[in-house]
Amino acid sequence: MNNMFSAYLTHILIIVVIYIILALSLNLALGFTGLINLGHVAFFGLGAYTSALLNMAGVPFILSMLGGGMVASFFGFLLTKITKKLKGDYLAMATLGFSFVLYSIFLNWTNLTHGPMGIPGIPKPKFFGLAIHDNFTFLIFVIIIACLIYLILKKITNSPYGKLLEGVRDDALGLSALGKNVAKLKSQSLMLSAFFAGIAGSLFAHYISYIDPSTFYLTDLIVIFTITIVGGLGSLKGSIWAGIIIIILPELLRFIDLPSSIIGTMRQMIYAVILIIILLLKPRGLFGRIDLE
Amino acid sequence: MIFFQLLINGLIAGSIYALIASGFSFIYTTNRFVHFAHGSTVTAAAYFFYYLLIYLNLPLWLAIPLTITLTALLGLLTHFTIYLPLKKRKSSGVILLIASLGIMTFVDNFIQMLFGPDVKIINLFNKGAGLTILGAYITPLQIIFISITLLLLLALWLFKKYSQLGKLMQAVADNPDLAKTTGINSINIQHWSFVIGSGIAGLAGILIALENNLEPTMGTTQMVSSFTGAVIGGVNSLIGSVIGSYLVGLLENFGVWFLPSGYKSAIAFVLLFIFLIIRPQGIFGLKKGTRE
Repeated sequence: MNNMFSAYLTHILIIVVIYIILALSLNLALGFTGLINLGHVAFFGLGAYTSALLNMAGVPFILSMLGGGMVASFFGFLLTKITKKLKGDYLAMATLGFSFVLYSIFLNWTNLTHGPMGIPGIPKPKFFGLAIHDNFTFLIFVIIIACLIYLILKKITNSPYGKLLEGVRDDALGLSALGKNVAKLKSQSLMLSAFFAGIAGSLFAHYISYIDPSTFYLTDLIVIFTITIVGGLGSLKGSIWAGIIIIILPELLRFIDLPSSIIGTMRQMIYAVILIIILLLKPRGLFGRIDLE
Repeated sequence: MIFFQLLINGLIAGSIYALIASGFSFIYTTNRFVHFAHGSTVTAAAYFFYYLLIYLNLPLWLAIPLTITLTALLGLLTHFTIYLPLKKRKSSGVILLIASLGIMTFVDNFIQMLFGPDVKIINLFNKGAGLTILGAYITPLQIIFISITLLLLLALWLFKKYSQLGKLMQAVADNPDLAKTTGINSINIQHWSFVIGSGIAGLAGILIALENNLEPTMGTTQMVSSFTGAVIGGVNSLIGSVIGSYLVGLLENFGVWFLPSGYKSAIAFVLLFIFLIIRPQGIFGLKKGTRE
């Protein structure tokens, strides 16, 4: 029993860390730079599919993971290029449309993605002659990656460059009057955000060892947004705490005697309720420094 | 003739999208935010209808108006309890869109919890006996479906153009602040837009339930295509949304001519994207004030 519980706890913690990476990366674009992006879940999917397919084609794990991040980042670049004239509602709709487009590619490019059947048998990470077979080691591995990403984001957001990104959010016009290239800053921020989301996708794929398009759609988009908004925009610490709370809270349902088919829907309902309540009562979230525009 | 069959299939799909998109556009015009949960209102309507008709065994003539009333009330409830308080906080359209994704998640999952994820069937009409027109097959239900849709869209257009409430809605849509200064209670008007828009979703839900069966994800799936149609035609134009929806329905069906059928939905999304980039206000939409 004790063993089972610790295996379960390890599993949940891995999921928590992966979602923390997703929330941290969304926060860079949405919170720090003020870029509304309802397509974040597509970057997650791009990373997962790219990394899984590369690795299964014989590319070493580390390169597959980086490849996943880079493909996601490239699509982030495309997204900023094609949406550069849009603002507000229309930008939100276009990024939501981006999620739809990518989802339907995952679903329909069956030669590559196996469509709704998904890709089974994705190998566990293996690098420098070491193979990660047990979940506990995997947990350590994702924590190391998450810490690295956190430190990079911390460094960036505290640097003068980070202040420029916040300038894009607060006063893009003023920034361009100072001769800064706002479009370039936006696209760099989104590319970096997409890169880390892609890394999270890769970690997810190689941990679960099976991916299908349904993981990378509206349902997960809500989870990522809930974590980021509950934690607070512009707060990395917030994303971490909220990731822990938001993923673990619905797990308490497992200790009530409910059929497992209900647990899944209840979990989604809890996320939705938390998201709406926080928007209504405390839109800055736990540690947020700015309002969502 | 495969051409006529695809045409008819496209018109049926287009009618479904147009019904959903018209209610969505109705709400968008008066409220100026993307009520994406409109698709979930359609799902709720279908399940209300299923519940009244199958569980409670109510006759059809009673189940239909009851479903529409319940759905209209559901729309009013979401506006009153969630959107209105958010608007009072001066939340932007983006926050309202995120909230609406939350509402969508909640409603879809709530329905799944109550009724289960499996497909439900309402076998009310004999779907077998159809007509053949120019070599294309069409059932009487589908003919009724297309006719009701066209009649309702006409009524909606007349309502917007000539009725007192319709004109007030137009005033609020054009300039909410100015409307307020002339003594129009814009919150009341917005309530009404949710009642009417969701009522249309109620009718859409009933028709889709009869034509296609029920699933907890049905409304949101249709909403994606209807939303595409509305954006292509112009979200803030009723006629534009309707034409855009038929365009999406036809394109999706004619697309199978040159692409595998799996790409049906991808065609619409690609179109959505192209329009958002090149002409975000859509074919018929007004540019004014919509890009802020």
